[in-house]
Amino acid sequence: MTRYAIVLDTRRCIGCHSCTVACRTHNNLPLDIIYNPVFTNGPTGVFPNIHTSYMPMICMHCANPPCVSCCPTGASIQQEDGIVWVDENKCIGCKACVMACPYGARTPSPHTGIVVKCDFCADRLAEGKEPFCVQTCHQRARIFGDLDDPKSEVHKLVNTEPVITLLPELGTEPHAFYILD
Amino acid sequence: MTEKIDLSQPGVQIKKSCCFFCHQNCGVLAYVKDGKVLAIEGDPSHPTNRGGLCCRGNIALKHLNHPARINAPLKRVGARGSGQWETVSWDEALDDIAAKLAKIRDEFGAEAVATAGGTQRTDDWARRRFFNLFGSPNSFHNAHLCWIPTFMVETAIYGWCPFEIDLMNSRCMVLWGHNPAASGMPEMRGISDCKENGMKLIVIDPKYTESAAKADIWLPLRPGSDIALALAWLNVIIWEGLYDQQFIENCCVGFNELAKHVQQFTPEWAAPLTWLDADLIRESARMYATRKPGNIQWGVAIDQSGTPSGAAMHARALLRAVTGNLDAPGSDLLTGPALDYITDEEMEANEWLSEEQKLKQIGSDRYKITTWPGYGRIAELTKATWGKAPTAEWMCEAHPPSVFRAIITGEPYPIKALLVSATNPINSYGDTKQVLEALRKVDFMVTCDYWMTPSAMLSDYVMPIACSLERPTLTSTYGCSDFLIGSQRAIQPMYERRTDYAFWRGLALRFGQDEMWPWENLEEAYYYRIYSLGHNVSSWDEFVEQVRYHFPPREYYKYGRVGFATPSGRVELYSSTLKELGYPPMPEYIPPVENEIDHPEVAEKYPLVLTTGCGFMPYHHSEHFQIKELRYLLPDPYMDINPATAAELNIKEGDWVWVETRKGRMKSRANLTQGVHPRVIITQRGWWYPERAACEPELGGCLEANTNMLTRVDDEDCDPIGGSWANKGLLCRVYKVEDSDGKAGE
Repeated sequence: MTRYAIVLDTRRCIGCHSCTVACRTHNNLPLDIIYNPVFTNGPTGVFPNIHTSYMPMICMHCANPPCVSCCPTGASIQQEDGIVWVDENKCIGCKACVMACPYGARTPSPHTGIVVKCDFCADRLAEGKEPFCVQTCHQRARIFGDLDDPKSEVHKLVNTEPVITLLPELGTEPHAFYILD
Repeated sequence: MTEKIDLSQPGVQIKKSCCFFCHQNCGVLAYVKDGKVLAIEGDPSHPTNRGGLCCRGNIALKHLNHPARINAPLKRVGARGSGQWETVSWDEALDDIAAKLAKIRDEFGAEAVATAGGTQRTDDWARRRFFNLFGSPNSFHNAHLCWIPTFMVETAIYGWCPFEIDLMNSRCMVLWGHNPAASGMPEMRGISDCKENGMKLIVIDPKYTESAAKADIWLPLRPGSDIALALAWLNVIIWEGLYDQQFIENCCVGFNELAKHVQQFTPEWAAPLTWLDADLIRESARMYATRKPGNIQWGVAIDQSGTPSGAAMHARALLRAVTGNLDAPGSDLLTGPALDYITDEEMEANEWLSEEQKLKQIGSDRYKITTWPGYGRIAELTKATWGKAPTAEWMCEAHPPSVFRAIITGEPYPIKALLVSATNPINSYGDTKQVLEALRKVDFMVTCDYWMTPSAMLSDYVMPIACSLERPTLTSTYGCSDFLIGSQRAIQPMYERRTDYAFWRGLALRFGQDEMWPWENLEEAYYYRIYSLGHNVSSWDEFVEQVRYHFPPREYYKYGRVGFATPSGRVELYSSTLKELGYPPMPEYIPPVENEIDHPEVAEKYPLVLTTGCGFMPYHHSEHFQIKELRYLLPDPYMDINPATAAELNIKEGDWVWVETRKGRMKSRANLTQGVHPRVIITQRGWWYPERAACEPELGGCLEANTNMLTRVDDEDCDPIGGSWANKGLLCRVYKVEDSDGKAGE
């Protein structure tokens, strides 16, 4: 069965924000909504012995998404392939999911009142394409695919590289995997 | 909430277009229906970007449809700079422009018409073709600051510029004043790939850049001291016996002279000049010399250092030669020009400019390698060896600061008209006050651009130009690569926009040059150029759709077959061409333009060392400030300052501060970072404010955060070889902006 996941290789990320701009531009998001910010950590240390790393964020498309179980209307949905998304017709904008998500991946839209988030560009996946943020990443720091497919690159990376997930202690089982710098 | 566009609807065509918001020309797929672009994305099959696009590439549709784009020819109606325009037709504009130019030519000579160019989103062979036939040698870009002197110095000593690097086989990469992680994304991807295979990365940069963050060795040298580092590397490599004896014996002349010359330049000598530890200089030189094959990727910083520039690029070039990192697998390749299609140079009609007019090229009496005296000599040598010459646009140009000075002073002769294409000189050229004075004073000015830039605001005509989706593109690295990549128009130009080619051809026809311009549009011209490749295609569009790329088979050690295009036929470690032009045949040490040893009185008032103009995301040069999808990432200009220095000056993160040199000052916010030496200040380039008034005196806020308020362009500050002026290695001071302060430029 298909289980979508993303690997974020921070060894290769250069903090250029191309993913942020691609997501916003192609998904036609207003300026105050970002699905995938990139944070710059550093430089840490004292000149000239310093270090900088970049931390790209995205919805973790958790296996146990607290944002789904807390939704009072069933608008917050987890598909069989792992994609977590919001049914705009059912969302009442109560923001329970915004509070529940430990990764800050959900935004109440000031324009429509409902909650919006990354859906791994599900419409592009249906066309056989990759999410915008993945295709646009010229550094190949974002690798997307089917974790259940032993031939996929994400499967290989998750099983061969020392990947971590964020806040694993919460039991959310994120499906965004990080390779640290 | 997100309107999805159905790209599978009937009638949608996919066009193979490209991006040209920097020099990489990444492939773009444009989804077009009924003459409109519905969507774009990176082209996954394109060898440069493989589907990727950076921040800028992703906003191509915002750029195409932006409400501030110039969509019709504008003729000035009020006083100059008053912001009052009327819309006219292309014919009316071109008739009037041609009449004005003809009058100036009759009265002052063709050389009284000059042209300023921008950065590779134009077909400047067409501009040069028009100028050669018109009779003026005074065409220029910011070329003297960007790669061109490097190209010419390297061609002088080894017969071509080895800009094509054989990256995937490299074991050591040197990024010297170059930050591909903010300026050349596809290149950075290649570097990351190679690092995974064990390649070592040395980054030489005063700033802890995104690329430095990935380096094995970071050398944060004093801005402007590159020449000292390069000489010390030569010393280590030669005097520790790390040089490539076989290559030197078989291919070089002048090794003994060079060895003797660099004996004095020890790492201990260089340490206080570069602010680097002598052992670190030694370690990095050894790494480059012993982890072969290796590359020194060109970086713009050395080209922008003023007086020491030419010597520094010369010394850097010698490093490749003494290590044998030339044209070998994994090294920097001497591909030579393209032999199987018609190059830019062959389109320029350089033979039509008389020797008498060539001699009048402004700056050619001083900056010889980048003007007709040096270019002419080097072109002769490359033609004899390779059969072709480098492009004269870029490689052979009037010296821009000298042209602006000529507009103001009338010396050595009057410049009465300036045709500006794809550039915003007020922000992009050195010493803004001088540029501004010249633009206000020049009798007649035309600007071809997408936007009402601060420079366009001062024009008599502003012509609306087609952007990358509205025109075809032929990518060939300033006309000097042996390969080419083709891209097609996604759509015909919107509104009254036209290509820059249409502008030059339109002028040419009005000067009776009809026979020299048989190609009605760019597709016809490009098809003519690639016809000899022998593909079975009947148009440029067919070429792009069916072939698109031309990469000749890679041939290493080509010099074994063709030789080196130098007078001796060898790599000249002791350069006879430079000597012939009156320059030192081996690189001498030249200190930074302003420094505490030679200018103690300046250093007392301006105690910090400045480097200006690093490239940064999401902007390019002076562009894109009006595009809100990018501006939100960085709404204000920032300068870098070490926290220790900031504390002394009572400056906190985000404070507005002035950076001031002897020339002027600029305002930006303070970015407190350990990524710079406590004595170094780094400012951003290009800033102006499209949201401000588009007329005098505000001119889009072009003076306020303009880094060129700080730079120096006087002859004494310029590199005598290539004419580079001083953007780096200046002395400055920094202080907080107070309410009572005046404006920049006062």
